[in-house]
Amino acid sequence: MKTWFGSYSAAFQAEPVEATVLAVDDHITIGYQREDGTTQTVRWNLKDITAVFDQSQQATKITSAGEKDCRLFINGKEATDFILQMQAEQQKPWHKKDKTKEWSRNLLIFFAVAGILIATYFLLVPWLSEKLASNVSIKTEEGFGNAVFDALELSQQRDREATILLNDFFKEMKIPTDYDVRITVVSGNVVNAFALPGGNIIIYSALLKELKTFPELAALLSHEFIHINNRHSTRSIFRQLGSRIFLSLLFGKFGNVTAILADQADKFKSLKYSRRLEKEADIGGLSLLKERKIDHEGFVGLFQHLKASVPGSSMPEFFESHPDIDRRIEYIREASKNSRVEDNTELRTIFEKIKK
Amino acid sequence: MIITTTTMVEGRPVREYLGVINAQSIIGANIFKDFLGGLRDVFGGRSKTYERVIEQAKDDALRELAEKAQAMGANAIIGVDLDFETIGGSGSMLMVIATGTAVKL
Repeated sequence: MKTWFGSYSAAFQAEPVEATVLAVDDHITIGYQREDGTTQTVRWNLKDITAVFDQSQQATKITSAGEKDCRLFINGKEATDFILQMQAEQQKPWHKKDKTKEWSRNLLIFFAVAGILIATYFLLVPWLSEKLASNVSIKTEEGFGNAVFDALELSQQRDREATILLNDFFKEMKIPTDYDVRITVVSGNVVNAFALPGGNIIIYSALLKELKTFPELAALLSHEFIHINNRHSTRSIFRQLGSRIFLSLLFGKFGNVTAILADQADKFKSLKYSRRLEKEADIGGLSLLKERKIDHEGFVGLFQHLKASVPGSSMPEFFESHPDIDRRIEYIREASKNSRVEDNTELRTIFEKIKK
Repeated sequence: MIITTTTMVEGRPVREYLGVINAQSIIGANIFKDFLGGLRDVFGGRSKTYERVIEQAKDDALRELAEKAQAMGANAIIGVDLDFETIGGSGSMLMVIATGTAVKL
């Protein structure tokens, strides 16, 4: 905005009166007092006015196409220059206007920075997190896993006999590993099993009851073993930690709505990663079964028991931490085509003891 | 139109006081500016993006004040005071209040 004092003639040959002039964006307004003492303001659009410097009066003469008899004089040349500059800016095509240029520049910076941040979030942070996770020693993982195991207070619910037999079963599978794998059976109605970092596998008795054949148990143990051996829990923890730190640094400053949106998006990304690890555990577990010529249908049976335990669950896979069970059955069958199967008396005998 | 923070204009006595006037401008930086401003908050440095927003809010408030004064027949606004406040849930919007006395010199 610019303001001046000027003299304004409201009609042809009318006496000029003192006026105040405001120049804003696309117009100027002229304020003056009429002969009857009342205040009047006139608005002239920038596109209608002509501003020239009158050498004889050393003043800027402004007229409007809409009101040809009216004239406005402002002392000096400054008003001429300013109005001509405003008109030139107004006549520029939209993409050459100063405001558009500023917007374009901001957008360009925004997309460039957003691109870098997205690449950091999706590529650099996960890579760095996995790198750090791979440097965690087995001893540290064991310490962490044991702490979680103690915190869950699972020892009191331990089924001693089943625990001993399941550890025998796993040893009989003869899977080479640097981890000291310890299986614990706990009593509970949950049809589930999970692995902790460092070697602890926890199996609920309800799931054990559902298993009908030894390949199903072998499938369950090999799946959980891959979680441990491939450091899935540690990798997940490091990735989530990395993502949270990055997002809180970035979006913590952006207000609640943006932070919540970023948080939810991050959860979906974690779920996707979790489904990837589950698939990795399925395929890795299947390889262990194949190497030992154990029937791959053990996996299929296991999945069917899991499916039966949660009837009516129709949540889309997008919201789940595990892949859809039908899809798991599909890729297990696809990956186990032409695999050889043999009976394993030792494993079958231990399984039968467990079932008694 | 003279717009000044002082209570008098040197060499031009006030002929008539037309009253206290005020104008306000509430402005929100858009999501792109918030994003760029947020980066400045993380990495440090001067945020020209937000500075321009404050400048625009101040200009808008003063323009509205001048238009009000002009409509009253004033040729100056004296004792102009500018207040800056943040409003909105997380203080994400800026409010500028301009107050002054419209006078005839």
